[in-house]
Amino acid sequence: MSQRVFITGFGIITSIGKNAEENFQSLVHRRCGFGELNILHTIHQKTLLCCEIKLHDQQLRDATGIKAGKGFTRTALLGLIALQEAIYSAGLSRSEIHDSGLLSATTTGGIREFEKFFYRLLDLQQQGDFVQFADTANPGEHCERMADHVGIKKYIATLSTACSSSANAIMQGAQLIKNKKLDRVICGGTEALSKFTVNGFNSLMIIDPEHCRPFDSSRKGLNLGEGAAYLVLESEAVVNQKGKKPIAELKGYGNANDAFHQTASSPEGIGAFNAMKLALSRAEISPTAVDYINAHGTATENNDLSEGIGIQKLFDENVPYFSSTKPFTGHTLAAAGSIEAVYCLMALQHQVIWPNLNFANQMSELSISPVTALKHVALKNVLSNSFGFGGNTSSLLMGSV
Amino acid sequence: MDGKTQCYINGIGIIAPQKTFENDQFLTEISTFNQNVLTCITPDFKAYINPVQLRRLGRMLRIGMTAATICLRDAKVQVPDGIITATGYGFLEETEKFLTELLERQETQLTPTYFMQSTYNALAGLVALSIKCTGYNNTYVSKGFAFENALQDAMMQLAEKNSSNLLVGAYDEAANVQYAINMREHHYKSDHIKNSSLFESKTGGTIQGEGSAFFNVSGISSDSTWCVLKDLQLVYTPETEDELSSALTSFLNTNAISVDEIDVWINGASGDVKNDRLLTSLENSIFKKTPQVRFKHLCGEFCTAISFGVWLGASILKKQFIPEIVKFSSMKSSGKLDIIFIVNQYLDRNYSFLVLKKL
Repeated sequence: MSQRVFITGFGIITSIGKNAEENFQSLVHRRCGFGELNILHTIHQKTLLCCEIKLHDQQLRDATGIKAGKGFTRTALLGLIALQEAIYSAGLSRSEIHDSGLLSATTTGGIREFEKFFYRLLDLQQQGDFVQFADTANPGEHCERMADHVGIKKYIATLSTACSSSANAIMQGAQLIKNKKLDRVICGGTEALSKFTVNGFNSLMIIDPEHCRPFDSSRKGLNLGEGAAYLVLESEAVVNQKGKKPIAELKGYGNANDAFHQTASSPEGIGAFNAMKLALSRAEISPTAVDYINAHGTATENNDLSEGIGIQKLFDENVPYFSSTKPFTGHTLAAAGSIEAVYCLMALQHQVIWPNLNFANQMSELSISPVTALKHVALKNVLSNSFGFGGNTSSLLMGSV
Repeated sequence: MDGKTQCYINGIGIIAPQKTFENDQFLTEISTFNQNVLTCITPDFKAYINPVQLRRLGRMLRIGMTAATICLRDAKVQVPDGIITATGYGFLEETEKFLTELLERQETQLTPTYFMQSTYNALAGLVALSIKCTGYNNTYVSKGFAFENALQDAMMQLAEKNSSNLLVGAYDEAANVQYAINMREHHYKSDHIKNSSLFESKTGGTIQGEGSAFFNVSGISSDSTWCVLKDLQLVYTPETEDELSSALTSFLNTNAISVDEIDVWINGASGDVKNDRLLTSLENSIFKKTPQVRFKHLCGEFCTAISFGVWLGASILKKQFIPEIVKFSSMKSSGKLDIIFIVNQYLDRNYSFLVLKKL
């Protein structure tokens, strides 16, 4: 069980860039993906602004080498772009890919296509191009498609714990390596904007039509976003054997449940506190050794209060630098955990802390405030938080090697 | 497993298209369906869920919550250390309701409850909330692998800390939407059959089923232990009989089990003559002499149907008895029932092996 888990590659696509380099440049230059919806058709296009990837499905297919008519949903295409970059960056061979596991997270699978063709799909008399999307109501469908396309065969899992989904995929990947079930596993999540999701969050009245303001006392809710990110995890044995230089070590992770409310977090931040504490104890480091927290920071009234209290409780007088990158990408739901894990890896690589945009007013309930400008500091250990509906809370601890 | 820690099944709660919710009975009353959709025989939910909560919950959340409650009572556990759920399509009825509203009302005046209850982790969250379980919480939605992923997760946690206990459950509902889509894909039979004659039909397609089964697993046995879950393995998209049988042979070797030692094999055949092809070849080769039982004629086919198979295997080991309705070959004359081997397939893509052992 002493097997260490290393991160040897990653890939990412968000509204601020279609690969790792573009994302990095956007973070450095404070470029956000927030704006009107042009690709998704909804009555909310000009009123509920989101962080949309300005690439049509055909452009995504061109980028991945997928032919039209093959049933790849936007969720699967975004996932595939990030997955292909991750595989490339880790330099995996065909046989290594074959013997890898793929753990992918989603909140709604291919619902974007399903909602579009809903009535036609249910009317068995109708035939046409749309039948390629017949099984898109299944959340595991995208994962198998991606695995089949790149040739992953050894282990397949799709996870869905709302907005903490891909953090749990990364955790489970680490567990599979530690328990010697796999040498290598690619973990992450993918999420495409859909009418279902936009209207769902709108019905809960937690979307801010303005640009979101994490940890600001005037915050009014979240902005939705889309994107995907995958991390390549490899066992210590494999890394040593190949003489690979890992990007970072996945030192710790924690998963807990708030058990407070179906769609709200406890004001005491119980789940947040427990998840972070578990991550630290697995990493065997003290709170003072944490240099940066990439907060979940959705900018809903409820999340930021609960998370902020949880952080204060755990770190007491020594709260590390923290920020939420949600204003850049929006809340990418199932993909948020892996996207922000990638941002943490970039932070470690470049020894830099990403700014929490749009912060101006201190929350009266908290004594801490986020980093608001790009900051160059020595970073060794960074924590990434992901929380979700159903009380799910997860935290990942990544450390430099 | 690491070879040291055992995974004991210490409690079960299951609601299925058969009367399975009373653990002291074992397929004594058989329900037959004259249609290709099998739906759950449910208990009085009021005995398990408080009335205020009950009113707010959709049908599958009621079924799942009740199965979880029966399981915890059976295991005599009030709050487990964690909850892991698995589903193929989740709460498709709630998804359909929200989607229909959205399309009919042109994205205005929508009911948030449908949206909230359509999320795949709604059941794991509800159970955690109801019993105040602040421990580990996860949900798998991987088609025909979801329940196996959940069990694998639980077994690894027990390997780390054998004193913990986890509530692992599966749920899937026979939703109209899924029926239509699967008819389109020819995954269900177009000819009407009786569920009892599923395996005589010899046609393509299967029948739609549903159910929810929860298992309490721990590294420590108790006076309510049903059996041991020894190991499991996934095989993704095997293309040939050789690929599947060599995976099976090496799995048996890893677990130091010979085919002769297997007292019963549970065949997860779905009644789809095409998709059952590899299981049929196992039946005629490796398992030629091994007593065989089947279960999908009783619960129908769904992504997490293997959970019904695990309950069946655990029941056979605990009660040392095999109901006639599941027998598909002659049984061993010795009557010894120590090792049960389950092989499942979903759509000829998701294959899995599970070994259960008598305590």
